[in-house]
Amino acid sequence: MIPAAFDYVAPESLDDVITALVDGGEDAKLLAGGHSLIPLMKLRVAAPSLLVDLRKLPGLHGVQRQDGHWRIGALTTHAVLEHAPELGVVSDVAATIADPQVRHRGTIGGSLAHGDSASDLPAAMLICEAEVTLQGQSGQRTVACADLFQDYLTTALAEDEVLTEIRVPVLDGYGHAYQKFTRRAEDWAMAGVCAVVKLSDGVVADARVGLTNLGSVPLRATAVEQALQGLPATAESLAAAAEHAAEGINPPADLNASTEYKQHLARVLTRRALADAVANAG
Amino acid sequence: MAWAPPGVEVNSPPHWPLARGEVNHVGDLVAVVIGDDRYAVADAVDDVMVEYEPLAAVVDAEAAIVGAPFVHEELGTNFGAHACVVDVDPETGKTTIVRYVAVDDCGNPINPINPINPMLIDGQIHGGVVFGIGQALYEQVAYDDDGQLVTGTFVNYALPTAAEVPSFETDRTVTPSPVNSMGVKGVGEAGTIAASAVVTNAVIDAIRPLGVDYMNMPLSPIRVWEAIQDASGSRAEANR
Repeated sequence: MIPAAFDYVAPESLDDVITALVDGGEDAKLLAGGHSLIPLMKLRVAAPSLLVDLRKLPGLHGVQRQDGHWRIGALTTHAVLEHAPELGVVSDVAATIADPQVRHRGTIGGSLAHGDSASDLPAAMLICEAEVTLQGQSGQRTVACADLFQDYLTTALAEDEVLTEIRVPVLDGYGHAYQKFTRRAEDWAMAGVCAVVKLSDGVVADARVGLTNLGSVPLRATAVEQALQGLPATAESLAAAAEHAAEGINPPADLNASTEYKQHLARVLTRRALADAVANAG
Repeated sequence: MAWAPPGVEVNSPPHWPLARGEVNHVGDLVAVVIGDDRYAVADAVDDVMVEYEPLAAVVDAEAAIVGAPFVHEELGTNFGAHACVVDVDPETGKTTIVRYVAVDDCGNPINPINPINPMLIDGQIHGGVVFGIGQALYEQVAYDDDGQLVTGTFVNYALPTAAEVPSFETDRTVTPSPVNSMGVKGVGEAGTIAASAVVTNAVIDAIRPLGVDYMNMPLSPIRVWEAIQDASGSRAEANR
């Protein structure tokens, strides 16, 4: 439980962070809240030679509404999101992450850049169709979250890039919910399903469903979304659509769950998340 | 003989090395054979005949209260009763403990030698009950196919935390022990002894209408779900 030796810097500007990353090479890692990276280092699953701490960087905190988007600074903590109910499903999801101590240290940028499909926020970013701003040596680029998550713990971030901002479209009038299944309150999700639903005269105008920890990357249950389109939002139609939740997914078995059980959980949790989302749709 | 402060007389029950007249449990020693060499002793052991009359098992609480024999008659009475209410989600197999009531008897809590802080007694019960809940619902030492321990940290070796247990309701009866001067009885393990059984029984009681009447601990969500599936036969049909 003692990490390998590493160097540490805490630059005060984004340019200095990027310079440190470039100079540090492939063994340099960014440190935000540290609640994913530090445990991995203690288990020696990760052994970066250099930690570049982001804590002194100004301007990467907080949530602003601008041009139909929520602009969320990468260093905004889960606790801030949890207490911003106007963020809808993002707030629902943030409130379930680990325990209060972790939520006051962990950051949305760190969670997304870590690229763990068992994290709660990535699937919510998919269904919100959010995009992230990446700043690197050669400038800035914007990447849709649908393209950000590439494989287990692997994202589209280049070695010299810092995730600086998340832009989440404002989903006014959408109902929202997150169903997270754990053995214990503070555990990672055995399976999780987030949903946003927009109704028009009782008919589903738009439904989006995201799956947590049911594959090597966060997923969207597109078969469910398509099955619901244009249907009345009744318990029967939601249940019928939820039956499609495990189509095309093959979650690996682990200590607590078989593949078959996880697929079953995906269907049950999808039905419940859709029902919750419809219940609070405006 | 137990230690006692000067001037205090402590009585304690006799401890016999061999069973006398009655045997209390399987494994109680009934005879000792001594000899010059192991083969002679082994032959002699074959000649030991024990005649005994087995007592019927008492599995009914009412019957146990009225007139059933004690295991350790000479030790007086050590008893407690726990009751628990659980919710089991039949779709996911997840158990939530809704209410837990523990009534235990630790003899004289206020004794002439060493008055016991009642919060200490409750604390012992709380800790013991959480241990028992852990055994019933969460804890498991698991190895993979290569013999590698996969529950080596508290991330995957599931211990219940404060968030998984209800606020316990505790109460006491006071039946001073006749076999020591302070009239006290052990309470440190009282919670553990009852908890795993009462939680398991509560879960089985909840899912018995679905056809499940036996499960091995821990009653993790996947095991409960699979037991319900097996009982209903739908898993078997789905696999055909």
